[in-house]
Amino acid sequence: MSELDKLLASCLYEIASCNDLKKLDQIKNAVFGKNGKITEMLKELKGLSDVEKREIGAKINALKDTVSNRLNVKFVELEVALQEKKLASEFVDVTMPTPPHQGGTIHPLTKVMEEVGNIMDSYGFVLASGPDIESEYYNFTTLNMPDHHPARTMHDTFYTNMGADEHGRKLLRTHTSPVQTHAMLAHKPPFRFFAMGRVFRSDYDATHTPMFNQVECLMVDKEVSFANLKWFIADFLKKFFTAPNLSVRFRPSFFPFTEPSAEVDMNYEIKDGEMIFGSGDKWLEIGGAGMVHPNVLRYGNIDSDTYQGFAFGFGLERMASLKYGVPDLRNYFESNERWRSKFGFSYVAR
Amino acid sequence: MRFTFNWLKRHLETDWDIYQIAKKLTTIGLEVDNFCDPKIMFRNFKLACIEHVEQHPNADRLKRCVVADSHGKKWRIICGASNVHEGLIGVLALPGAIIPSTGEVLSRSKIRGIESEGMLCSYDELSLPSDDANGIIDLGPNVSLSTSVGDALGFDGGILDVSITPNRGDCFSLKGIARDLAAAGAGKFIVSDDISSKSSFEFPLHINYEKSDACRRYAPVIAFRVIRGIKNDQSPDWLRSLFLAIGQNSVSSVVDLANLWLIDSGRPLHVYDLNKISGQLAIRFAKNKEKFFDIKGREYILHQDMLVAADEKNVLCLLGVMGGAKTACDENTTDILLESGLFDPIFISRTGTFLDITSDSRTRFERGIDRDSCISGLETITRAIIDVCGGTASNICIVGTHPNVDRSIRLTEEKLHRLSGYEIDWANAKKILLKLGLKEVSSSSEASTFLVPSWRSDLSIEEDLIEEILRITGYDNSPEEKFDAPINCNNTILQQENIIMAVKRLLASCGLSEVVSYSFIKSTYADAFKEKKKVIQLLNPISEDLSTMRPSLIPGLILAATRSLNYGQSCVELCESGNVFYDACLQETHIAGLRAGDFQDRSWIHNSRKINVFDAKSDLMTALGYFGLTEKEITIKQEAPSYYHPSRSGTVYLGKKKMGYFGELHPKINKLFAVSEVMACFELITENCDISPPVISYKDKVFPKINRDFSFIFDTSVAIGTILASIYRIDKKITKADVFDSFILEDGKKSIGITVTLDAIDRTLTEEEAQIISGKIIKFVEEAGGELRKK
Repeated sequence: MSELDKLLASCLYEIASCNDLKKLDQIKNAVFGKNGKITEMLKELKGLSDVEKREIGAKINALKDTVSNRLNVKFVELEVALQEKKLASEFVDVTMPTPPHQGGTIHPLTKVMEEVGNIMDSYGFVLASGPDIESEYYNFTTLNMPDHHPARTMHDTFYTNMGADEHGRKLLRTHTSPVQTHAMLAHKPPFRFFAMGRVFRSDYDATHTPMFNQVECLMVDKEVSFANLKWFIADFLKKFFTAPNLSVRFRPSFFPFTEPSAEVDMNYEIKDGEMIFGSGDKWLEIGGAGMVHPNVLRYGNIDSDTYQGFAFGFGLERMASLKYGVPDLRNYFESNERWRSKFGFSYVAR
Repeated sequence: MRFTFNWLKRHLETDWDIYQIAKKLTTIGLEVDNFCDPKIMFRNFKLACIEHVEQHPNADRLKRCVVADSHGKKWRIICGASNVHEGLIGVLALPGAIIPSTGEVLSRSKIRGIESEGMLCSYDELSLPSDDANGIIDLGPNVSLSTSVGDALGFDGGILDVSITPNRGDCFSLKGIARDLAAAGAGKFIVSDDISSKSSFEFPLHINYEKSDACRRYAPVIAFRVIRGIKNDQSPDWLRSLFLAIGQNSVSSVVDLANLWLIDSGRPLHVYDLNKISGQLAIRFAKNKEKFFDIKGREYILHQDMLVAADEKNVLCLLGVMGGAKTACDENTTDILLESGLFDPIFISRTGTFLDITSDSRTRFERGIDRDSCISGLETITRAIIDVCGGTASNICIVGTHPNVDRSIRLTEEKLHRLSGYEIDWANAKKILLKLGLKEVSSSSEASTFLVPSWRSDLSIEEDLIEEILRITGYDNSPEEKFDAPINCNNTILQQENIIMAVKRLLASCGLSEVVSYSFIKSTYADAFKEKKKVIQLLNPISEDLSTMRPSLIPGLILAATRSLNYGQSCVELCESGNVFYDACLQETHIAGLRAGDFQDRSWIHNSRKINVFDAKSDLMTALGYFGLTEKEITIKQEAPSYYHPSRSGTVYLGKKKMGYFGELHPKINKLFAVSEVMACFELITENCDISPPVISYKDKVFPKINRDFSFIFDTSVAIGTILASIYRIDKKITKADVFDSFILEDGKKSIGITVTLDAIDRTLTEEEAQIISGKIIKFVEEAGGELRKK
């Protein structure tokens, strides 16, 4: 056996039997280092003839490649083994209960207001606003309910201790309709407005809370007609309830601020205890509508000979309850954890 | 309005059945609340006579009865009613019958061991009004057993219950309802004949009608008549069973007849016992604080703008609103005075509202009655009373004068088409108005003028006529017409609302759940949050708990939190947006949040800790972050409203503008709401958030930044936030100044580790430049009371 063969055999043996990265480094140094065996051998080549140089040099290089490959393979092998050992020591019990990041919920009313707002916006209706504390003038008079109009007795109005001014006593608005007047006074027709917000009436039982929310809609132009109103409400409700086959019924009714006036019903049926809108022949009242009374237009500084318009108002809690099956109105304002987790919506917009 | 179908048919010739009529009524705006067809309702019910009664062997209070129908068929019935006796004719429900009061189907059942083959019904069980609470129905001995149950109970073809909208005074009568139905094609309206009774004697009373303008406005005209020699017994059977079916109490013949004609024709009348009137009758305004006792003996204190009928001693009647006890008719009444007036809706409404009296009479006067019915109404009732009670009538005495208020309305074809949105046939439209009793007084090719009938005080403008035409045609017969959305609309307020929405979503992503609370709260709660502002109170709150407009959103959040804490929740995280109210600015929109109890639910993953002021601050900074604000732009002052913990709360300013508050709540608030957990809240004044987010410049190429850490020692009172904000102003290249470490030293001072990022944005900063800026920072902090810590 030549010296080279001996060296190769001993190197391979050492590499193979090594199981420690440090030791492997030492082996590498002992072979390839400054005074390493192969380095030494290469130095010794100097004294040889060209032919010998070529012959022995080639042998040494082959030896070098073999050992170096073996070393690299061993390095990877040992590194992997080391990492596996380390990882194994990092064991955790992944079955431990792990709560998701806790997000809060969005109130169903807010959700419904957002939906209504989006639909209204798509028809070109602009959101208008008005104060929650109104005067008798805006809440009643401008809506064609003069003093002692029997319609005033239809509302159980909350009055405040703020006294009266030229617009009468201050009260909590009983409907969002005063926003109509504010909007009309601030703009020139034609226009399309809607309003959403709190209204207050002195009533409290399973189907009435002293506070609830309404959406109000007003469109004024020269030729806005009852036929337009019928189409719009039907289309709006179809979109809101995502019920393209919804039937909408208009029944004559009375509101002081509209003429003609209508109550709006939509059809439904009950399937497996759930309300399905747009099929069946049962009717459910959803709100009131009509053509704006000329007196209301006049109070809004609009020439009622040239302009006409429609208006409607729906209860938002009712819409939310019908769409999302929320029972008992009172829970909207006296919610607890369980109610929120059942009827609240994820903050991720859907 | 509850009435029987056959009664309606006295005014309407029709071959429609009750179902068709009910449907039509709703279609034309006279909404049918409910109606019943006795043939359906009383299927499996029949009249039966009790033939034999004996004691139930197992129960003291029960009886075993044998009952028989008209064919002699017999059933064994167990009955517990106290009025069970042999010979009683009552209503028998047989298995399969649906009991109206419960909606349940009757089946055979064993009662205390003995089978009952049916049930003898009470009025209650049939959902019929009755004074007799315990007994079964006793129809009296004269009823034929072969009569149908519906007829025996006065159901007369069926019962309809109709809601009348407040504008339709005329439809508070069967006459009015029939007229509408006829116009809508449901039959022919039967015009009642004019009748007049011959007078047998001179009107004997002197009526003193106050000659003032106010009186003439309140009661323009009143007609009187005396009838003598009547017998005021119990009403005849047909009238009593009719009243039973429609839920009206039967009093005596005269009173019942007046009520009957009230429902029939909508004409309120008042009947006085003539012999109880002392001296002359005055129609005058009440004296201030004058007393009045109504027919049920309730006392009212009157006011001087209420019109009354009075004799020399007492107020006898609150005209148009309520009759009095003094001259009420009873079984001894022989001579009566009838009063048929025209009273002004506004005065009647005021009097009724002030005294809180509702009556059938007020309801009708308030909504407008047929102006021309004073005399005809008096004639009709005279005939009815004489027919039933006998007697002779005087001539009619009239005080005041009939107002001449004939009204005509011009309707143009153009407006009809423009408002309805389709081409309604003009001739048909006019025909509808004529059927409703309007008279065409003039017409041209494009317009007609109509005279409004005396009973339709609700019709005054062109639009009213258009509604009549559309209503009678049927709203469902008018078409739908689409319109397009404009391309641009500037929905500014909606955008603002969407911003609030986005902030709420952002807060929800941090764990806060949205609640909606009442705008009004208990006054003691409001007082604790009002600061120096004046709160707005309700004069007529629904309860003390909901009596004061909230000056802050926090109390509502605390109430919502208590519901969760009491439910056992250890971690409560809530937010709300809405208006707060106080005298100076009426309303202001806030977004507020509350955290109470543990920070996050207890878990092995993180160490549990309680909520503190910094959780609230973090929430507020998250919300402000939506508007592009960071601690770099704002100023925080160690001050807050008094409901916050005095030394663990702050106010955020942007320049001089107050943006909001944050902090732990004051223990006095915990005490007030009985909450033991620490609560940390924030309030954001959204009105002040009308700021456009800053434009952040963006460079694609990034140059290395330099970070420098400093360790300073401060007195505890030094506001680090203010120091950090000032550091930014030292040099534009300082892009970030933050605290990476904070602890209290042995001597009580605080050690604060500040890290600063330097970035020239468009080039690499040199070491020299960084050194200069660092020097400036140290100099500044030292001047502000800090001391560089020696290593």
